[in-house]
Amino acid sequence: MGTATVAETSAAAKPTAARTKKRTKKAPPGIRPKGWVGLLFILPNLLGVIAFTLIPLVSVVVLAFTDWNLVSGLGGIRFTGTDNFVAIAQDPAFWKAVGLTLVYAGVSVPLTVILGLALGIALNRPLPGRAALRAIFFLPYIVNIVAVGMTWLMLMNPNSGLVNQVLGGLGLEPGWFASSNWALPALIVMAVWGGVGYASLIYMSALQDAPRQLYEAADIDGAGAWTKFRVITWPSVLPSTIFLVVTLIIGVSQGFGLIALITAGGPGDSTTTLSYYMYQTGFQFYRFGYASAIGLVTFAGVLVLTLLTWRAQRGRALHD
Amino acid sequence: MTDRTAKWVWGIGMWILALAFLAPFAWMLSTALKPDVDAYKVPMQWIPDPFQWENFRSVLTGATSVLPAFGRSVFVAALRVAGELVTATMAGYAFARMSFKWRDKIFLMYLATAIIPVQLLLVPRFIYFQRLGLYDTLWALILPGMFTVLGTFMMRQFFAAQPAEFAEAARMDGASEWRVFTRIYLPLAKPVLSALGILAFVWSWNDYETPLVLISDPERYTLPLSLSNFVNEQGQIAPGLTMAASVISIVPVLIVFILLQRRFIAAMTHTGIK
Amino acid sequence: MRRKGFSRREALAVLGAAAGTAVLPGCSTDQGSRSAALQVWGGVPPESGPAAVVEAFQRKFPQHKVTYTRYVNDDRGNLKLDTALQGGVDIDVYFTYGLGPLALRAGSGLAADLTDQVRRAPELRPFLDTEQPRAYFDNGRVKGLATASVPSFVMFNEKLRRQAGVELPHEWTIEEYRATAKRLTTADTVGAYRVPDVARIALGPDYWYDGDRSNFGDPHFEQEFRIGQEMIAEGSAFRWTEVLSRHLDVYQQNAFLGEEFHLWPTWPFNLRYLRDAKMYPHDFKVSFAPLPTVDGRDWNSGECGNFLMVNPKSPKQEVAWEFIKFYLTEGSGPMLSAGQLPSLSNLSEDQVISGMLGEEPERYFDVESFRRVVLDPKLKLATGTRLTAFPEIRLAEKQQRDLCWLGEKAPGPAIRDVRRVADAAIARNDRRP
Repeated sequence: MGTATVAETSAAAKPTAARTKKRTKKAPPGIRPKGWVGLLFILPNLLGVIAFTLIPLVSVVVLAFTDWNLVSGLGGIRFTGTDNFVAIAQDPAFWKAVGLTLVYAGVSVPLTVILGLALGIALNRPLPGRAALRAIFFLPYIVNIVAVGMTWLMLMNPNSGLVNQVLGGLGLEPGWFASSNWALPALIVMAVWGGVGYASLIYMSALQDAPRQLYEAADIDGAGAWTKFRVITWPSVLPSTIFLVVTLIIGVSQGFGLIALITAGGPGDSTTTLSYYMYQTGFQFYRFGYASAIGLVTFAGVLVLTLLTWRAQRGRALHD
Repeated sequence: MTDRTAKWVWGIGMWILALAFLAPFAWMLSTALKPDVDAYKVPMQWIPDPFQWENFRSVLTGATSVLPAFGRSVFVAALRVAGELVTATMAGYAFARMSFKWRDKIFLMYLATAIIPVQLLLVPRFIYFQRLGLYDTLWALILPGMFTVLGTFMMRQFFAAQPAEFAEAARMDGASEWRVFTRIYLPLAKPVLSALGILAFVWSWNDYETPLVLISDPERYTLPLSLSNFVNEQGQIAPGLTMAASVISIVPVLIVFILLQRRFIAAMTHTGIK
Repeated sequence: MRRKGFSRREALAVLGAAAGTAVLPGCSTDQGSRSAALQVWGGVPPESGPAAVVEAFQRKFPQHKVTYTRYVNDDRGNLKLDTALQGGVDIDVYFTYGLGPLALRAGSGLAADLTDQVRRAPELRPFLDTEQPRAYFDNGRVKGLATASVPSFVMFNEKLRRQAGVELPHEWTIEEYRATAKRLTTADTVGAYRVPDVARIALGPDYWYDGDRSNFGDPHFEQEFRIGQEMIAEGSAFRWTEVLSRHLDVYQQNAFLGEEFHLWPTWPFNLRYLRDAKMYPHDFKVSFAPLPTVDGRDWNSGECGNFLMVNPKSPKQEVAWEFIKFYLTEGSGPMLSAGQLPSLSNLSEDQVISGMLGEEPERYFDVESFRRVVLDPKLKLATGTRLTAFPEIRLAEKQQRDLCWLGEKAPGPAIRDVRRVADAAIARNDRRP
């Protein structure tokens, strides 16, 4: 995979300087071809990750090939080969959950990124009460989800909630959490509401990177706002966008807290996303082997999406 | 439009949007200040009647006080943030700006570990941490939080966006790798370090599952765990106390946020979107 | 299944080696440090009763110390307890609430066999009853003892009942229940919260199971879904959109206290909201009626619950048993205020009334009907003993009930889907060795 291309992307942020180099050079500039020094830099983190995350993680992979109910202890682990994966392939509830998750992620992630970028740009401008504004948009990300869940249930009550009182003026009255058609859209609204503050925080910090001289040069060239955004701003925030997209997808594929609190996967199975289905099979049905197998399959799916995101970035970088 | 009027037009627009974001918090605050039965009254009652300050008093004092847990959460978060900032910045820098053996393979492994669903890790982590002797200690929360993949990923993406020419020039002048990192790139990273600091604090502050499984002694509960004092055995949540505790728990995060957000400098007005 | 020549033995060897070397080095049972005090884990917050029970126990047995640790009785709280028990954390006695975890813990060696101790204690004889069991039997051995009896009953809002001129029934049928709910329905109030558990009243314990299959072919299940849907449609039961969007499955008391509905099929633990008008302001009294009968059958859909179990790894088996015996016989008084009716009725009616209904029982309760209905010694409690695939079936039933009562699905297809999922889940569980 093309991790090295990220450096090329950054080079694209300096169009004039980098463009000529890129055609001639294989290795991106500034990267020492060989050496062990870099390993020393990552060592503290690497050791910690191995010790506290990677080692327990291996057992998840092992558990995916077992039938285990947790309470029977380590002695109760029964290896079943690929049975779990065969069962997953034939499990209609799993495939339904995959579909729901794709819709959930497919709508909420792009919305969060786009709104987060717009908000990040807006909040980096001089504004009256800017510090307060930044804090307000970030608030949803920090409140504990029990409070968030209780509040949104009240706000989205189809008969008496604030949201439908506002929408009622437009002639809309969605059933939200009390309708199998509207429950997922309601969760998407909440995800975007909770995520834009996070996205704008990332963008606020990333936007510092775009060198001001470039904007000044563009002004002199008489470039329009869109051109400046496309040529200068966007390339400079692209690596952060990749980070955001990947972490948001991971968030969707792992987040079950709000679903557990608000809809418990319902009505019916209309909000049983992949992560919630995994939670159900593991923590409610005590099928830890099967849950681990679902986790492994989810992992593979997210990995593919991540790699695709990466390739999109490379394509983009070359295109410029 | 002059800059001044533009500032105010934008400002007013942003504040209107902000009010929409604030509505849920107004509701939380209002619920924190009213008797439990009124919390679910239909239609919604926005102004408490009467104001029940008692909720805040019982959350802060007495047997169910969240203050000790609050203190522990601050302690855990402080160490986690400090550790994460150091290790993630170094690792992120190296992944982005240095070259070494297996670099891309290790980074791919990093990404992969971030993708495995955390809830599946709970049980293996419990077994493993118990053997390490970390079970039921705050170190079980602190240590894994000091070495994170997401922080490294974030820093890597930041450094990847920095021009490489700075390093080339410095290296030609004979600067050591450490010097290139600390003198050239680290100063550039102040805004993103602030962002990571804020995020790491939030991640630590709101972490529920890890302490749930790894801490059993109520004397070591962190803030999210102590909120379970306000849930009865039927799973019924006392709304007033829960909201009061939630409102209190926002405060330190807001302080951290407001202190650090100043690093996001105001200078740019040319980012392209007008 | 293993078309690609992937032998089970190979997989097992590889993965076993991986597990052994990488993750789980040595499966030695690390007991950890044991404290001198008896460690009791339960789901009730200490201040709602357990602390007082512990205190009374320590007064009677000053040589024993007890530490009560509270876990939240939800999915994740139970996971915490299970991992702790499994990992050899210092726990001597613990409570199990849900029927799913009950069977698993009892069947997986997490619960000590208490049969002999129960046999030796004459005052605990009722726990050997297998007709309407108060103990959990695992292959004929007692593994858990129910501390609470949780009968269900129907509560009336007296003020609204009198206004409507409806008589308090001493016995009634499900049809009369529905008719009463209809008569009580007004422009701004709903007659009943919901239809009671029809199938359970008709079929009794283990009503989900029929041999090695599920029992959802029994017409009473569809009857319940249908009556529920019709009552919601005619306005005599609470709108299910409100139930879901206000989480009334857990918070019914709020709507009842707010006088949004009149008839409430409920359990003793909700009495706490009605005896404390300061915390939960209301100005009406409540009275009690038994559950309606279905086709002349009168199983009470409540159960015996809140099981005490002993960790078999505990080195304090004797103290643990002492504590359990104390709790079951004389110690459960303080739990009345949390709405827990002791499973052994060794408290006088007056003690129960003052413990459960507060200092001014007559002010908020019709005590006469409380005695007659809730304390009826002849209640037929339907406590389940078959728990195969219990959580899966419960979820399937809830999912389809929601769809049906939201009006998105007809009762027939809804029940057929419950049946399909339940049969599959039972078959899958029975396949397990």
